[in-house]
Amino acid sequence: MKKKILAVLLSAVTALSVIACGGNTASTSEPAAAEPAPKEEPAATVEEAEPTSIGSSVEGELTVTIWDEGQRPGLQQIVDEWSAQSGVKATIQVVDWNNYWTLLEAGATGGELPDVFWMHSNVAQKYMENDLLLDLTDRIAASDKIDLNNYYQGIVNLYQSNGKQYAVPKDIDTIALWYNKTIFDEMGVPYPDDTWTWADFKENAKKLTNENHWGYAIAPGNNQEGYYNTIYSMGGYVISDDKKKSGMDDPKSIEAVKLFTDMIAEGSCPDLATVSETAPNELLCAGKVAMSINGSWMLAGYRDNEYAAANCDVAVLPYTNDPSDRVSIYNGLGWAAAANGKNLDAAWSLIEHLCSKEGQLKQAELGVTMSAYEGTSDAWVNSVSMFDLNGHMKMLDAKLVFRPYSRDTTVWEDMMIEKLQDAWTGARPVDEVCKEIAEEMNADLAEE
Amino acid sequence: MKKRASSRQISEFVWGWVFILPTMLGLFVLNIYPMIDTIRQSFYKTGDFGKGNIFVGMANYKKVMGDTEVWQALWNTAKYALVEVPFSIVIALLLAVVLNKKLKGRSVFRTLFFLPMVVAPAAIAMVWKWLYNSNFGLINNVFGIKVNWISNPDIAIFSIAVIGIWSVLGYNMVLFLAGLQEVPRDYYEAAALDGANGWRQLINITVPLISPTIFFVLVTRIIAAMQVFDLIYMMIDLNNPAWKKTESLVYLFYKYSFEQSKKGYGATVVVVLLAVIMVLTVFQLVGQKKWVHYE
Amino acid sequence: MKKTISQAVIYLILILVSIIMIVPFVWMFLTAFKTTAETTQIDPFVIVPAVWQTQNFSNVVKAMDFVRLYANTLGMIALRILCAVLTATLSGYAFARLEFKGKNIMFGVVLLQMMIPVQIFIIPQYVMVSKLHMTNTLFGLLFPGLVTAFGTFLLRQAFMQLPKDLEEAARLDGCNIPKTFLYVMAPLTKSAMVALGIFTAVFAYKDLMWPMIVCPDNRATTLASALAKMNGQYQQKYPELMMAALISCVPMIVIYIIFQKQFIEGIATSGGKL
Repeated sequence: MKKKILAVLLSAVTALSVIACGGNTASTSEPAAAEPAPKEEPAATVEEAEPTSIGSSVEGELTVTIWDEGQRPGLQQIVDEWSAQSGVKATIQVVDWNNYWTLLEAGATGGELPDVFWMHSNVAQKYMENDLLLDLTDRIAASDKIDLNNYYQGIVNLYQSNGKQYAVPKDIDTIALWYNKTIFDEMGVPYPDDTWTWADFKENAKKLTNENHWGYAIAPGNNQEGYYNTIYSMGGYVISDDKKKSGMDDPKSIEAVKLFTDMIAEGSCPDLATVSETAPNELLCAGKVAMSINGSWMLAGYRDNEYAAANCDVAVLPYTNDPSDRVSIYNGLGWAAAANGKNLDAAWSLIEHLCSKEGQLKQAELGVTMSAYEGTSDAWVNSVSMFDLNGHMKMLDAKLVFRPYSRDTTVWEDMMIEKLQDAWTGARPVDEVCKEIAEEMNADLAEE
Repeated sequence: MKKRASSRQISEFVWGWVFILPTMLGLFVLNIYPMIDTIRQSFYKTGDFGKGNIFVGMANYKKVMGDTEVWQALWNTAKYALVEVPFSIVIALLLAVVLNKKLKGRSVFRTLFFLPMVVAPAAIAMVWKWLYNSNFGLINNVFGIKVNWISNPDIAIFSIAVIGIWSVLGYNMVLFLAGLQEVPRDYYEAAALDGANGWRQLINITVPLISPTIFFVLVTRIIAAMQVFDLIYMMIDLNNPAWKKTESLVYLFYKYSFEQSKKGYGATVVVVLLAVIMVLTVFQLVGQKKWVHYE
Repeated sequence: MKKTISQAVIYLILILVSIIMIVPFVWMFLTAFKTTAETTQIDPFVIVPAVWQTQNFSNVVKAMDFVRLYANTLGMIALRILCAVLTATLSGYAFARLEFKGKNIMFGVVLLQMMIPVQIFIIPQYVMVSKLHMTNTLFGLLFPGLVTAFGTFLLRQAFMQLPKDLEEAARLDGCNIPKTFLYVMAPLTKSAMVALGIFTAVFAYKDLMWPMIVCPDNRATTLASALAKMNGQYQQKYPELMMAALISCVPMIVIYIIFQKQFIEGIATSGGKL
């Protein structure tokens, strides 16, 4: 029976993976500390001199590991293009989110990481500090395809440690307002557009509520798809820029959380028990809520659900006072290579291809994700026909705020999610809860 | 006491060690060494990937003693075990006894009861989550009730224990069936001639005769129930109001070791769990003399 | 008369329990043939799919090389059963029937192994396999199943349940220990061995984490781990997942039915001898 328990660790894909991914946060320290990279990898630069010779001297193939099956077919196409040029075969393995990190951890401890793989804000700092990732600084400097100025800065900074760059940004996500057109029509409410404020949002949610459905459903465990957006939109903050102080007791942050607790109290948003049993996106697909705030990574799920494809669409998030305070909390993956890989040049060449302008354009065109290379994502909008993805695209022009993080984000983030329960259920006043969170978070930050 | 070892004793000693050697060798390499390493870690504040550990002595243990979350998790685990173990054993024993008789369709029943054993844990969790769902679930809709089976802090752990019983029944039943095969039939024939009815046969013959198997099931089930993790991990997440009242010790260990990179503290939680299980097992080993009959 | 009533009651109870056991299963089966929308639709509540979506089956089957996966899985199961039954019968017999110095301590170690949550073994065991350069091999899959504390304990209990006089008789006939074990005692614990075989097969089969980590290559991994990988991170395609779960159950149910026959034969043989 031990095996059964074991099995689960990783197979818990369904319920937790979505939350694990969207809800957890970054752990990177001082990414912006931009001392120029000390040159200490001469070996790497020498090899860079003749980039075309990669394929010929190589035997075997590269292993590429990712965690999202939905992205595999598209990415494999791009990888195959590279293989045709370089002569090196590379196969993408998909390991689900939970297994992925155990696999990497085991690989890191045992010295056998995949050649090329995805990095995420949750753990990037840990992997960078321990020199497990290949230092790409010099290779980037020598490359004519990669210029870090072309990518969204928050993602670039995320994969920097001590002035070295350990991963190249792969994609970017934005948050937008998904809605059920049928319910809007039924209740006679005009579809959401870029004129909506958060107050309109709250007001309309009430109008969209009846005995069959709610106006909006909150994902209490997923801050990136929820209150983080309103906190920054309303002028509050989660963590100070120096990562020393919590902003959860800021009056504006408290007000931003209150927006949602009020909606729960009014009944236009289902109670905590309901959303903890059925996630907001499932409620939307079931026709039980009119609106849900989701990240662009949810696209595949909505696309493949016949009900959502037929009834739903997506619009930009509301703003608070002025369109300039429309906020999207964003995050992005990076392509990294193992420091001790067998074929570092081939690994780098593959990353270079994936993150080059062509690779990034192709990624968007194939509908894999929006790309981290600025200005290459337009094609993504046309990758599906049933939704107007401009809702997500236009959020790239909104105020982009990188997902709040510190070195040990999960510690205070889990605490915050847990404590906020009392606010959602109405057991205690929001300001009291938020102040307590801030206190505890400050203590956690002091320990880092 | 000072007797010279007889040749029989020498032979038992030699063959005993030869027989257990493969198993012991494997256990030491595969399991005991990692365990000792974990115990060692519990005295450290651990760095990433096993590097940069700092020795902190008993600090982790002191922290555990004052950590209400750990005690709550222990209590949750105990509640789960208190429901799952007795029910699954008694029901499975009765089923096994009935299905051991000549009965039409018994192999069909045996197969049905065994079904949950062969389903992937992820699928079990998903199906039950759906059945339990307070708004859309089959249970509430069929009976026309509104119960928050898995989000009410007072009942969630018991709802999960019910799934535990459901999925482990087949396991216990197979073990009891195996035990029953080794009971000589003539005992029953003799009892039947004496006019003992089914219930009396069960209490007076079956239970004592398969008590070593019952003992085995009891010990292994308690150990497994104390390590409950998978179901809870898949059914309950951080934003569930019942989360604090369902988090088990292994869940806590998993959280610290794998999610928050605090391997040292996670190791301490495991050592506490290990101590609890050990005490329970030693009690059972001592207590078995009162009720387990070996031939 | 009394007998028929009690028979009826027994059947009633059996059928009731069967229903409870099977409802989640039926639900899984029905879900496997629905569209994704039907699984999340509540109003009206869809119990039976409007159109049976057989392409869910072909989608799942198309996604992977089933022949290879079955071969890997069955290979792993066969090897694990072999190792488990072999080592556990030997050590179970020694712990139950032989007296030797150090026995109790060693048995304590066996029990201890069962008390440790498996999560702590994974990374050290992976490191060992990795150092042996055996990742993505059948040996890698077998590795944690080389020996079994659970099986040792199970077989020990089975041996302890056997009457002592059998052994005495064998000894008086001049059988030495290996012979007594091989010809007299081991055959009598056939049921326990079959039970161990069933469990070894089931747990090896359901194990996800180990094969995923030790054999990330789809060509070398097991059915269960390949199926789990289908479940991409952000999609929630319940029907396909349920279909995958269903397909993955079938071989195990067949194995169980075959083994179950062994049980019944077990009655005949051991009953005859005693």
